[in-house]
Amino acid sequence: MTDRSGTLERIGAPVAQPQAPEALASWEKGVLKAFIPWVVVIAIWEIAAANGWSGAVLFPPPSSFLRYALESDFRVGFGGDAMPIPVAIVVSALRVLVGLAIGFAAAIATGILISASGAFADMVMPLVRGLAPIAPIAWIPLGIMLFGIGNPTAIFVVFMGVYFILTISTVAAVNAVDQRLIKTARSYGASRTQVWTRVIFPAVLPQVFTMLRINFFAAWMAVLAAEMVGVKNGLGMMIILGREMFNTKLILLGMCMVGATGYLVDALLVQIQRRILWWQPAP
Amino acid sequence: MTTLSCRHVGKVWPGAGGLSVTALSDVDLTVESGEFVAILGPSGCGKSTLLELIAGLEPLSSGRIAIDGKSVSGPAPGVVMVFQDHSLFPWLSVKDNVGFGLAMKKVPKPERERRVARLLERVRLSKFANHRPHQLSGGMKQRVAIARALVESPEFIMMDEPFAALDFQTRALMQRFLLEVWLEFKPTIIFVTHHIDEAVLLADRVVVMSAGPGRIIEEVRINLPRPRRMTDPGFNDFRARLTETLEREVMRAHVEDELRLVSHAA
Repeated sequence: MTDRSGTLERIGAPVAQPQAPEALASWEKGVLKAFIPWVVVIAIWEIAAANGWSGAVLFPPPSSFLRYALESDFRVGFGGDAMPIPVAIVVSALRVLVGLAIGFAAAIATGILISASGAFADMVMPLVRGLAPIAPIAWIPLGIMLFGIGNPTAIFVVFMGVYFILTISTVAAVNAVDQRLIKTARSYGASRTQVWTRVIFPAVLPQVFTMLRINFFAAWMAVLAAEMVGVKNGLGMMIILGREMFNTKLILLGMCMVGATGYLVDALLVQIQRRILWWQPAP
Repeated sequence: MTTLSCRHVGKVWPGAGGLSVTALSDVDLTVESGEFVAILGPSGCGKSTLLELIAGLEPLSSGRIAIDGKSVSGPAPGVVMVFQDHSLFPWLSVKDNVGFGLAMKKVPKPERERRVARLLERVRLSKFANHRPHQLSGGMKQRVAIARALVESPEFIMMDEPFAALDFQTRALMQRFLLEVWLEFKPTIIFVTHHIDEAVLLADRVVVMSAGPGRIIEEVRINLPRPRRMTDPGFNDFRARLTETLEREVMRAHVEDELRLVSHAA
């Protein structure tokens, strides 16, 4: 017993400390690395346009379409349809985020109900499996018929696009929960309800959230497509407006904003995953 | 005195296509209060199943398990489980993992915190109370799992190969640590292992099980004084005896498997 403290000290040092000091440096390096290819491509593009190598009318370089944005005071459209670009970005991003959030919550609830009740599973699972393969974009016409043009349609499209696939993912994640965690909880006095709320629910979150991230791009495309065909604002409208006016600067500006916003929303999802679902490293 | 008794315990797992598997057959076992019993056997002999039956996590197919004469019909408050992979909840901090059972039983927060803090102090993890399991080493995780068991002041701790995933040195330290807390808290421990030295080093009594179907084939009382060392005189005799029994058993199971395959092929 004399060397008890020594025994325990040697049992093991922590293997990982949170917030390693070099984390920021490597993060900065990552950003730098992501920018270099873009700088190269844009430089070639600008040089090509400046020397008239390619149709600068068809593919105006960033210097040209960004100047266009500046000159038009960051507003696009006419009269009542006119909208500042930042508003278009926020509107599109919010639509996809709200749709994803509602879809995520509803899918987890449905998936858990399906896993908990055999009768509910028999009734609902065939429907979910049948509806899951329908691409988000395919819901747009129905959304417009149901909700007209506006936010509800865009949110509906995102919701329908992710809800079924995330429900299937939740059911799979529930089945994959480590049985020993469930047995441990029961052995320590958890009731059946507590096993669901305290063990299965937190255990499935990371996997379903990863699925959400994978499906984000499809949902994002669906929002833009909805904005192009019916919902008359947002970034999708900006691109379609450019096409209608044969304004390639506006088209490319819109595409540039779509890419940047999609990238930032995905980065936001990664941060949510890292900070809230930190117990599983983000893939 | 709390006595655990298993009488003619059997467990049949329903298999796919009507092929059921008999995991345990006619197991008789009595464990006295405060005893340290090791269950030794080849893989697939149903030793883990037996633990889960005692812990009330699975229903019996036949026979009876009773604690102080009262039949086990579900997880009982005084019986807790520690698994090989420590089974800590990755989303909870160390202190919330240790306090999990108390929280489930709605123990008031101040009392819960006091008991958790005392146990963390005892396993020397106070500094890591707010860490998450993935930030700990294997040995530390298993100490958290042991603290989570001890904080319940359990009468029985079921340990299912708790140190199997640890490296040799950590394992030796954890074995010594487990004996310390066993002597201090005096719970009854039923410890499943396939490691002969570990069984002889730790247990008052070693129960040897056979495979297919699992049943008890030998019980050996280890009457060596504590603290024990693997170099103690007498240690080798127990090791030799158990090795022989186990080897015979593994060979028999192997031959039976081969015969079964041959008869299937024919």
